[in-house]
This record gives sequence, structure tokens and C-alpha cells, in this order.
Amino acid sequence: MKFYVCIKQVPDVNAPLQIRDGELLQDRDRMILNAYDASAVEESLVLTEEHGGKVEVVMVGPDKARETLRKALAMGADNGTMILTDRPDLDSTAYSRILAAFFKDKDYDFICCGKQAQDTDAGLTGSMLAEQLELPYVSNAVGLNYENEKLIVRRQGDAGQEIIELPSPGLVTCSNDMNEPRIPNLKGIMQSKKKPVDSITPEDLGIDIGSIELSTNILGFEEMPERETGKKFEGDPDEIAREVARLLDQEAGLV
Amino acid sequence: MNTILTYISVSDGKIKRSSLEVLSKCRLEAEKNGLKTAALIVDENASSLAEKVRPYGPSEVYIVEGSEFKNHLNSPVLKAVSGAMNTIQPKVMAFASTENSKDILGALAANQNAPALPDMSEFELTDKGVKGKRPVMAAKIISRVEAVGDPVIISVRSGSYDLIESPSEPQIKKLDFTVTEKEIKTTIREILTAAGDKVDLSEAQTIVAAGRGVRDEEGRKLIDELATVLNAGIGASRALTESGVYDPSLQIGQTGKVVSPQLYIAVGISGAIQHTAGMANSKVIVAVNKDPDAPIFDITDYGIVGDLYKVLPPFIEELKKLKSN
Repeated sequence: MKFYVCIKQVPDVNAPLQIRDGELLQDRDRMILNAYDASAVEESLVLTEEHGGKVEVVMVGPDKARETLRKALAMGADNGTMILTDRPDLDSTAYSRILAAFFKDKDYDFICCGKQAQDTDAGLTGSMLAEQLELPYVSNAVGLNYENEKLIVRRQGDAGQEIIELPSPGLVTCSNDMNEPRIPNLKGIMQSKKKPVDSITPEDLGIDIGSIELSTNILGFEEMPERETGKKFEGDPDEIAREVARLLDQEAGLV
Repeated sequence: MNTILTYISVSDGKIKRSSLEVLSKCRLEAEKNGLKTAALIVDENASSLAEKVRPYGPSEVYIVEGSEFKNHLNSPVLKAVSGAMNTIQPKVMAFASTENSKDILGALAANQNAPALPDMSEFELTDKGVKGKRPVMAAKIISRVEAVGDPVIISVRSGSYDLIESPSEPQIKKLDFTVTEKEIKTTIREILTAAGDKVDLSEAQTIVAAGRGVRDEEGRKLIDELATVLNAGIGASRALTESGVYDPSLQIGQTGKVVSPQLYIAVGISGAIQHTAGMANSKVIVAVNKDPDAPIFDITDYGIVGDLYKVLPPFIEELKKLKSN
């Protein structure tokens, strides 16, 4: 069974960030493997460990994002491809077009993606890629099994969970609720240094990255409107509980 | 070309309020820009639902009906919506942001070669397309974004806009639809519906949410009681859905549902950004936490510092008293 996992390097959303003149200032040293992608890597590894097969990771990004690709290899992926670009403003459409060009002549059973990137939370690239490759897909997977050459995907829907059979070749986008991604051990880290990584450019895939005109753009950033800090009640539990209940009724009219 | 089309989300045979919020906003945008407002209903019983969107003023209601839509599966819905877009040629195709619309948004954008802006908290039409705002970085900040194109596909967070009635006499137009088994490719084997998952959290006016502090059967009973008194939906933080205490469909946060009720009561929830990303837009927030420094208190209107096991019983009793008066 051959898995490809599409991964992305993202800023750590837990790191402090600042906005100045509409620009987002972030600590560029705190770039990490997107948590949803880490779950996709983990799940592919678990399935190939059980049923046999290979896991290859692919990433679009700048050269300095290589450490993130190495992390996926240290987790246990067999090899990787780095599609190098320094262009920082690519949107989901651009990412999915580059990936679609990469996958055009590849053989695989399943492509796994994180369901969204944790910085933009857009969640578009996976299904855009599936549509371009004309693959059946399932999004927001919270569990995967493999039976009779099909992935049995547990998908979290609006109300309940759906158990969906996805034939090969197919694409699945993963939630981080499906597993706890392994932390690479020393052996994994040492081995990852010897694992093959192909470095290619979008131009190698027939895409002129400089001339891509984006149809969605970020115009700037602004702070969330601050919530006024309300009242904090400390003291006798019985008293403060009853007081807040009365205030909810009198002040907010919510009872 | 001259239409703003709103996708009407249907769940369990009922129209989701969030999609009517989007329709209300789209009608205002259409009037401002001299465009028509239309609604699209894709459902097993779509015809019977057309009447329900009339109060929100569409001039046309498009219907796609078929047994394929009984349970959500992306390929038939994608085919139905892209087919409708090919026929109607809307300037903007707008969705309420739900798990089911997220499922098809990217594929639809690729299919229509259209830009997509997901999870908007504000939007308006421009000469070139659509611009607006969307929360990013676990909803810590807002990104101002634009899409240039025709059509533009967007989805809108629930609670971003009010329902506005403006009844119309829409034309009901049925669109032809067929899909073969071969085209569908994926199969639903089973649907696991959460027990007691009666209140749709994304629509609930009041939510009681449980976090790590709720650690046993007694705590869950208190949550249930509080929810019953307030006629509230029950939600949970990731800690409690992952450990299996609450059903995963009840998870609120960056990974789970984004909610914006009138009243949100966070019980035993510390307030990590991954959780607040899903609830910070609630109108009034109450928190019960024994740690006075818990980050949740930064965004609460009424913060109760105390042990939930000691706070909730008198809180529930007092609420009951107030209700009966």
C-alpha cells in the first residue's frame, strides 16, 4: 500500500504574535509541522506498519522548511519530496495546483492531507487536490481502517459520525482527533538523515511560479475586537453562585 | 452573472438557521449591488422546504431533489451544486460554514475554477469579487481578505449576521439531477448518531460546556442538570471528547464546532486558545473554574472562581428559583 502525505510548515499558533501597521509579526523560529498533517503522517504509518507498504511525504515550501520534512521522516516516513518555492503568498488554489502537477504521473493508493492548516484554518487544499486529480475523497477523518483494498474512514459530520468506504486511489483529509502523533526518537532522527529527499521546483512540474496570479489575497491583519473583561467572583461558593445566577437574570435577561 | 446564490443547509429535514443568516445578508448585498437573491436547496425533500426560505426574500428558489441526498456524501452534493452553478451562473455562491459545506468547498472551487473564501465573519461584494474578514491563527487575530473573480465561493461562520425577514413570492425552479453509482465511488456503510445529541450546537442559544474539571459521573450529572434548567445544548472541550467522556460531535473549538450562542457557560474549562477559537464570539460568557488565573477568565463576563462541585448545585437551585418566578 502506497501512501503519500502532503505536509506543510506553519507558524506555531501558541507563539506570541503581534500586528503592526496591518502586518503580522511572528517568531519565525517557531515554525512547526502542521498538527493536522502530523496526524495524517501518524495514521499512514500505523496503517502501513499493520498492512505493509510505504509512506512518502511531500511538501511545498522554502528551503528552510526542510527541517519539517525531516521531522516527518524521523517519525518514520520512508522518503520525501521537497517542492521548493520562496513565494510566501501562495493560496490554497496555488498549493493544490502545484500538488496536482506533482501527483499527475505518480502511482499511489491513498493521498492523506491534514484537514486544514492550523494558521489559516482554510481547509480547502485537500478537496481542491482531489477534484483536480478526479479522486474520490473523504474529509475530516477521525479514524481510518484498511479492509479489502479500501480505506474505511470514520468521518465527523455535523451531527454524528459517518463510516465511509473509500476505494483506491483516493484522498482523505485528517483531523487531529484520530491519534497522538509519535515524537521521533533518537533512532528515527538518525535514520531520517539518510532517507532520500528529492528536491524539485514547481518549474520542474511545468508550473511557472512567478507568474501565478492569485485569486485570493490577504490585505492585512487586525486585532480581534477585545472583549471587555467582566466581573470575577470569589468567595463563598454558595453566595457567589447565587449572585451570578441573579445577575444573569437581571442584567443579561438570560434566565 | 446577476445573482447571489445561497446554499440552504438542511440537517435532519430541517433548515439550519445559519444558512438563513447567510441568505439574509446576501439579500442585503444583492439589493445594494442591483443583483438578484436566490436560494438553492439540495435535499431528499427539497420541495417541501422551499416555503421555509420565503420569509428571507429570495426571488428564486432552486430545488435539487433526490434520494442520494438522504445522508450527506460529498460527490452527489458536489455534482448538484456545480450543476446548479453552471445553470444559474451566480456572481457569488454563499454557504453557511458547516462540516458538510467544508466537505465540498475546496472541490467546488476547483471544479468551478473559482476563488474561495472559507469561514468568513464579515463579507461584502466589491467591483472585482468579494472582500471581508476571517479569524485566523486559532481565532487569535483577524485576516482581511479579498477574492477576485466571478463567481466567488464563500462560507460564513454561524452567528455572523442576524436573520432579517423580507417575505417574497419566489419562483420555484426545479433543476434536473442524475448521478450514477459509478460517479459516486464512495459508499456510506453506517451512520453513528450520538446519543442524546438533540440540540444542534451551532444553532443553540445557550450552551453548557464541560472541560477537564468535570471528572466523574457526579460532574456530568451537574452538567446535565444545568443544561436542562437552561434548555441548553451540551458541549465539551477536546480533553473530554478525546477521553470518550462526551461524544466527539460535541467538541467545541478550533478542531470541533464554532459556536456563538447568547449564553455560554464554561465549566471546568481552562480556556486554551484551541477551545476559545470556537466560542469567543458568544454573547455572554460565564465560567466556573477553581484556578483564579485560568485564561478563560480573560474573556468571561461573569467569572466564578470556585470548585464546580460546590458552585453548580446552588447555581442550579437559584436558576430554578428564578425560572419559577
